[in-house]
Amino acid sequence: MLLGQFPWLISTTYIDDLTQGEANMAPEVDGTFLHEDNAALIFSPLQFRHLTVKNRLFRSNLSGMFDEYNGYGGHTRLNWEEKFAKGGIGCIISSYTPVAVRGRILIRYAMIDNDDKIPFWREVGKRVHDYDCRFIMQLSHSGRQQDMGGVENLFKKAQSSTSQTDFFHGILAQAMTVSEIHEIVEEFAQGARRAQKAGLDGVELHGANGYLITQFLSSGINDRTDDYGGPVENRARFVLEIVRAIRREVGPDFHLQMKINGVDHNNWLYPWKKKGNTLEDTVTICKMLLDDGKGVDSFHISSGSTFPHPRNPPGDISIQNLIRWYGGMLSSGVRTRFNYAIFNNPIGGPLFRWLWQVRRGKIIEGINAAYSKYLRTEITRIDPSVKFLCTGGFQHASNIAGVIRDGSCDGISMGRPLIANNDLPHILRTANGPIKQKECTYCNKCLLNDLANPLGCYEVSRYDGDTFEEKWENLMKDVMSVFQPPLFR
Amino acid sequence: MNYNPPTPVERVVARNRWISWLIVLLLILAALYWLIFVNQYVVAYQDGREHFKYGSIGSEPVNGFPILVFKALPVMFRDELGSTGYRRFGLLYETEQSELPVGMSRRIVTGVERVWLNCAVCHVGTYRLSLTDKPVFVYGAPSNNLQLYELVKFFLKVGSDPRFTAANLITAIDSPEVGGHINFIDRVIYRYIVFPRVQAGLSLLAQRFAFLAKQNDGSTPHYGPYYDWGPGRVDTFNPYKATQFNFPMDAAHITTAELNGSADFPAIWQQHPREGLHLHWDGNNTSIDERNLSAALGAGVTPVTVDIDAIHRVRDWIWDLPAPAFPVPPPNTDEYSKVLTRGRELFAQYCAGCHGMKNEAGQYDYDPNHYPKLGQIEPLDRIGTDPDRWASYTANFSAAQNMLYAGYPWRFTHFSKTGGYANQPLDGIWARSPYLHNGSVPTLRDLLEPSACQAGKPCRPAKWYRGSDILDTAKVGYQSDGYGYDLKDLFQYDTSISGNSNKGHEGKAYGTDLFRGDKDAIVEYMKTL
Repeated sequence: MLLGQFPWLISTTYIDDLTQGEANMAPEVDGTFLHEDNAALIFSPLQFRHLTVKNRLFRSNLSGMFDEYNGYGGHTRLNWEEKFAKGGIGCIISSYTPVAVRGRILIRYAMIDNDDKIPFWREVGKRVHDYDCRFIMQLSHSGRQQDMGGVENLFKKAQSSTSQTDFFHGILAQAMTVSEIHEIVEEFAQGARRAQKAGLDGVELHGANGYLITQFLSSGINDRTDDYGGPVENRARFVLEIVRAIRREVGPDFHLQMKINGVDHNNWLYPWKKKGNTLEDTVTICKMLLDDGKGVDSFHISSGSTFPHPRNPPGDISIQNLIRWYGGMLSSGVRTRFNYAIFNNPIGGPLFRWLWQVRRGKIIEGINAAYSKYLRTEITRIDPSVKFLCTGGFQHASNIAGVIRDGSCDGISMGRPLIANNDLPHILRTANGPIKQKECTYCNKCLLNDLANPLGCYEVSRYDGDTFEEKWENLMKDVMSVFQPPLFR
Repeated sequence: MNYNPPTPVERVVARNRWISWLIVLLLILAALYWLIFVNQYVVAYQDGREHFKYGSIGSEPVNGFPILVFKALPVMFRDELGSTGYRRFGLLYETEQSELPVGMSRRIVTGVERVWLNCAVCHVGTYRLSLTDKPVFVYGAPSNNLQLYELVKFFLKVGSDPRFTAANLITAIDSPEVGGHINFIDRVIYRYIVFPRVQAGLSLLAQRFAFLAKQNDGSTPHYGPYYDWGPGRVDTFNPYKATQFNFPMDAAHITTAELNGSADFPAIWQQHPREGLHLHWDGNNTSIDERNLSAALGAGVTPVTVDIDAIHRVRDWIWDLPAPAFPVPPPNTDEYSKVLTRGRELFAQYCAGCHGMKNEAGQYDYDPNHYPKLGQIEPLDRIGTDPDRWASYTANFSAAQNMLYAGYPWRFTHFSKTGGYANQPLDGIWARSPYLHNGSVPTLRDLLEPSACQAGKPCRPAKWYRGSDILDTAKVGYQSDGYGYDLKDLFQYDTSISGNSNKGHEGKAYGTDLFRGDKDAIVEYMKTL
């Protein structure tokens, strides 16, 4: 590809075109490579500045409401994380981990808001380390994307860069004061300190998919007029302060990475909304976060300024499951009832699904690879030691090896394919992917069931059995396996 | 302290709910406003003739009466109208039980059902062959009964009559004859909204028609005589000048001759072949559509309220409406055939050049290529008929008319002042009595006599009675001697009055010098047209 061979020829105009066009192209896969070549590359260690991962496979942040209501970690969480470590994954990026209860997106997610959470996370680290699996904690704050804030937040508006209501669910927001911004910067820093103290292998800032850091970074959301709004350099000030505060707490040698949108696509639902950040904006932000070598060690590339978003997790949307489980969010926002009415409507529901698929584009596996490739090219010219991870539907060795080989990234992260096949890394060692029936279908039923049910794969067709009842029984066994072994035996 | 405060989301949802309800309420109010006060409702008639008789053409919104008021007035003023109500003015009711006369339509405007005139009020005639017959309605024929002048004067008088009060009106509406049975709310509406508006409307009408009210009605003439139109006649353009254009109607601006432009209503059948011919008595327009729209203004339509589609439906119905056949079958004798043949020859010689006639196939031939003067203007000095109708239509007035409907595709562009009277086709002429433009000659046979009377020689009657619908089948025209009527119920037509002259259309070229038998033969032939 011209882009890969002559990156210096890329003009800004081309980049704009890339954000609209090439991002929808499938990553090129060189069929001349044997599976053994692909496996050798995938299972070669990935060396970050201060962290080595045994292979190039990362589990991206998958949550599940498995913990205590107040944010203490639960026994099921240990089981959950151990499943993937046992399955051969090189590194687990934790569930979305709030640095404060006001930054929670859903209840029953383990938090890192207090030192009394350290023992739990230490135990998590220990469990996965037993499988030579690394564990990176994802430090998160919901901002206004607070799907179920819980009773602690019932009478509070969500903190954000803006007072504009979230356009999808209508979650109310209050623009933070500078003093509040400083408090949250410190909460991130303390979260990182606790993760380090728990013996975890690094931290990731969740700066993608519409959460608080995105709300500052995105030109489609941030409408501030102070030092934290306006030009991209100002919008990135918040996350840069977080990075510096974390470094102050954990020192230069603790692995720190940033998950970030290649492009925001903020107008996916309402075309009249601003588009948000372009790829060029993201390049600027990434350069700032290098902070002359004292900043982040790695970038984790995603896209989409909301969660969920047609591009993340890329796939289908089940209207049936939306109708079943979206009801739990009705009290969260001022547009949820409208959304629910649309989903329930015989015309509105299919129309929403159609829009979802159109706005996603044709490509699912490797949907963000082109963004990642461009960003990696730009950033590694400045600092070759910075590594790139790319997320987006990966579950085949040829595609994973392909994007690593062509310079799109150094490793990939997986979510739903790992829920479908916890042992996917073991499968990829010997085969290009799961057998057809067992592949992740990208149905996103896991995502929608997470609002009410244990996180797991709810795609009936993937399960063994001759009848629906048999398949459903096997589905239930698989989903409920997260509770095994029980705490008390 | 409120122990159960709403969450911020609940507060916004509640506020949004109020806003939504408010929007819905406003939409409902807007819809109701539109449905009641903006949108108008008419009775639709599938049949073209029923639409002609009762369909609304848009006269009601500005000039119409609320139907209960219209029905109450004959009760309130029974001493003037008598027991027959509006029948006194020649309005035709199809049955004794008919709620409205032919030529009166209804339209619901601002929630109130209003009634006013349409085309049929002036274009339905009746005839009887004998005194005891039931009147036969001839649709499209000129009205021979309508006393429009008296009707207008009645409404003008009502507006200033001390008995016309809200209380009397409501009492009349509640009377058994009207049967309004209005409730308390309606009473309030009628007392404080409807009555004052009707009174104001009549007051405005009185101002516009001041030139009528002040003349020849018992009070001192303002500056000169203005004469009753009589049944079957209308002064088309003088009220038009006053109501549409506010033309000054005083002596400084208008002559007596111009002021008395009364003329007979015309027949309106067979309009298709008349397209392009000079229409109206003085031929001031050649467009059927413009003529129709202009006539609609006379019925109370305004350029704003005109229902153009309804008028086009009327146009479509009269487009090829056949002229009625003479109601008495001809004698089937050789002798009568000879008379008809002689009449046809004489008609062809004396009349057809200007009026056209039926061809060999029995179809009326309106083709100006065959009859070059058909539908053309006959100069005033040649035709010699009364000039006042011609004089009432002025160049200034035609200029004003051509500004009407400005901005619409149907804006008037064809009106012009001519130099005489137009030669009309004579299809169905038996049903168009009396004759000449001003209806000054009662029968066809009279028209073939000179206007000047000499001892021992027949002539056109100088004074005769209008208003009868008993047909004189020999002379062809309505009885003019008062036969069968109480004379005070008829209108004495005096040809000596300004505008009423029966002169003209006479002399050798017009057949008045022919022998009596030849004249009779022409009349017999004209029964077949």
